[in-house]
Amino acid sequence: MAIEIRPLEQFTIERLIPLHIGSVDVSYTNAAFLMTVAVVLITALIMLGTRKRALVPGRWQSLAEMSYEFVADMVETNVGHGGREFFPFVFTLFMFILFANFLGLIPYSYTVTSQIIVTFALAAVVFIGVTIVGIVKHGFHFLRLFVPQGVPAPLLLLLVPIELLSYCIRPFTLSIRLFANMLAGHTMLAIFGGFAASIGLLGIFPLGINILLVALEVLVAALQAYVFAILTCLYLSDAINLH
Amino acid sequence: MSESRPPDPLARLGEKIDKARAERVRRQPAVGDRSAMQQGLGLGVRIGIELVVAIVVATGLGWAIDRWFGTRPWGMIVLFFLGVAAGMLNVYRAVTGVSGPVGYRPPDVGAAASEGRSDDEDC
Repeated sequence: MAIEIRPLEQFTIERLIPLHIGSVDVSYTNAAFLMTVAVVLITALIMLGTRKRALVPGRWQSLAEMSYEFVADMVETNVGHGGREFFPFVFTLFMFILFANFLGLIPYSYTVTSQIIVTFALAAVVFIGVTIVGIVKHGFHFLRLFVPQGVPAPLLLLLVPIELLSYCIRPFTLSIRLFANMLAGHTMLAIFGGFAASIGLLGIFPLGINILLVALEVLVAALQAYVFAILTCLYLSDAINLH
Repeated sequence: MSESRPPDPLARLGEKIDKARAERVRRQPAVGDRSAMQQGLGLGVRIGIELVVAIVVATGLGWAIDRWFGTRPWGMIVLFFLGVAAGMLNVYRAVTGVSGPVGYRPPDVGAAASEGRSDDEDC
């Protein structure tokens, strides 16, 4: 009768193919599997969608074109013309997070983006990449980013550390936002699911809430991918359009 | 007559493209309405976590510095306040749509660029 509710069980990583190189554990896990699925699906969507190259696009081509235009528009409005060369990066990032989030919503699958190490790795790539782009584009001048204009010298002593700190915090906010949203959402789904299973006929109420929650999670999944991509654009714009 | 024939289709195509472009620019406001909601949603989700993470990360950094250099508790105290300031700054920037440092002015890339940032300050 008593059904145990373990809402955090869904986040455990299982080794599908145990693999060790030296003392390093490089096993192929369920998380790695879901990432592979995401990458394969994205590649299939783009490759198959653009294969026909019809003037009047069919369903798949429309989907591929829509995702292209959405991200291209985002890059154009937020970074400007200088950002065209970074479109592939932003597009890859957006599609990967979007697919990882959506795939995680399928029952019994796994949410890759609920692991902070995954989101932090993505955010760190963005952070380091943006810093390198800034330094390559502006050289030493890039450090001007941390020196506000038109401020008296004594105040700079206080403002430069604040600027530096707020810059260095970016990868953390970027990764924690995505990770926390996915973790919280999926935990909530599991808790209400557990209620529904354990209280019998009355379970229809938590089940109803769960249906609404799934709708909310779909929104969150898309929104978080969008926010991640748009923040990447804004950071890129900082590095490229330096004052 | 027949010599001027070849460039003609190209010129017509150019005209067509120009017209389509103008049409697209004219249609922009209709699209902007939807993306305004998108941006509002994105912004709302964004700023919630900004302040908290800034404070937590800065305080953690202060704690680590104290451990390395044995300066307890000063590093943590100083960095806590710096973290609060940085978090506030980030939230303020997210809200005003200015994402660069304090003196930052987005360069005039045109109306398209300023449209993306929710609202530029006038100065």
